[in-house]
Amino acid sequence: MELVECKNLCKTFDEKQILENINLTIPRGKIIGLLGKNGTGKTTLIKLLNDLLTPTSGEVLINGKKPGVESKKIISYLPERTYLDKTMKVSQVITFFEEFYDNFNKEKAIKLLKDLNLELNQRISQMSKGMQEKLQLILVMSRDAELYILDEPLGGVDPATRDYILDTILTNFNEGASVIISTHLIADIERILDEVIFIDKGKIYLASPADELRSKENASIDEIFRRCFKC
Amino acid sequence: MLGKLLKYDLKWVYKVVAVFYVLALIFAILTRIFFSIENSLLFKIIGQIVNGAMISMLISSLINCLMRSWVRFIHNVYKDESYLTHTLPVEKKTIYLSKVLTAIICSFTTVLVAIGCLFISYYSKANMDVLKVFLKLTAESYDITVMGLLAIISVVIFLEILFIILIGYAGIIIGHKSNRNKMLKSVILGIVLYLVTSTLTLVVIYIIGLFNQDVMNIVNTTDIVNVDAIKSVMIAGIAIYMVYNVIYYLIGKMQLEKGVNVD
Repeated sequence: MELVECKNLCKTFDEKQILENINLTIPRGKIIGLLGKNGTGKTTLIKLLNDLLTPTSGEVLINGKKPGVESKKIISYLPERTYLDKTMKVSQVITFFEEFYDNFNKEKAIKLLKDLNLELNQRISQMSKGMQEKLQLILVMSRDAELYILDEPLGGVDPATRDYILDTILTNFNEGASVIISTHLIADIERILDEVIFIDKGKIYLASPADELRSKENASIDEIFRRCFKC
Repeated sequence: MLGKLLKYDLKWVYKVVAVFYVLALIFAILTRIFFSIENSLLFKIIGQIVNGAMISMLISSLINCLMRSWVRFIHNVYKDESYLTHTLPVEKKTIYLSKVLTAIICSFTTVLVAIGCLFISYYSKANMDVLKVFLKLTAESYDITVMGLLAIISVVIFLEILFIILIGYAGIIIGHKSNRNKMLKSVILGIVLYLVTSTLTLVVIYIIGLFNQDVMNIVNTTDIVNVDAIKSVMIAGIAIYMVYNVIYYLIGKMQLEKGVNVD
């Protein structure tokens, strides 16, 4: 059984088609780049996988079941926006995750917090947006999930921290788990990708193993992307 | 999971409401102190001011209790925090139940604090005697016991507060089904639902009146009406509001279970 399956998935908002007939499978144990320009439907697809949107038609299956309690137990999701209660302290958020997610590893979270110089007794409201994003990444990567979905994890951080974040992702995700990374900063993540999915105007433009695509086109993923979506 | 959700919801709501409770209690104690000082016009005036402040704190705590419960619901279910709420391994109906219970618990404690504050401010043997006589007379006129009367009053207050809570949630849930002006639509829908349902209640009582002349007299005449008619209307009202509450709870639950479309 595939980890994720999308069958004829469509999503419209006010009669505007955002996703059109998406057919997609995500295997286990791979790092997949969901790549596309801004506003092409990457986040919409991710929201559908996470039960944050309801499909207009078609279906999403996670481990063969529609998104629900069981899929939420195995998906660790990093959205593009900050979702934490600003009135809480870091330590309280850690406790919150520990209480709700059986697969949350508190020790790992505390270690990652130290590595990124975040303090346990700091209030979220006193943290910069970048710090909040780092905290969210730590929370997400501290779960022993089967699927990590990271929406623009590098969006708000400086280039020096990007490498650290990528290393954090690489060294902290479960053996056998898959990671979907959505971004338009392709050059930064190219080195870690096993597979790539190009999405454009709400459709899957291309889906291929990364190495195969590089050999076939004799170019980096970044160059291929630029070629495909040249304005 | 319900217990865990409740813990965080209650914490968030009480963070502000508790401040109003403390202020109300302080003003209640001050009212008591200033009212107990005799032969001083100044202290009587200050007593009236702190008494007014206590009443306004109690009203504010009830308003805040309802408003914060609804705001929490919007933040958690439709705004940025919804990205966390909807990815928790919790069923949507449990999330909804937690929000409803939070509002009920908060309203209940607010009523308790209000009773406590009124007790602190006005307790005296003479006042208690007046209250007892008033309750006894009212109970006798309805041909029930004092405890029965208090029970009916409590049930009516509970149902009315629950009705307002559920109307608010239903308005928010239905309003957020659309893609534009979600907040405005939520508020308008809440008000419309309240007005429509209240009008419907009057229509139902009128229909009952068609079969019961005593009930119709409540609507048509200014004559002293039969106590049995008032009892019939009260019982019908309680039954109607129970049905409304069940319906609105199910509407909210079912609409939420159909799925959300967060911004």
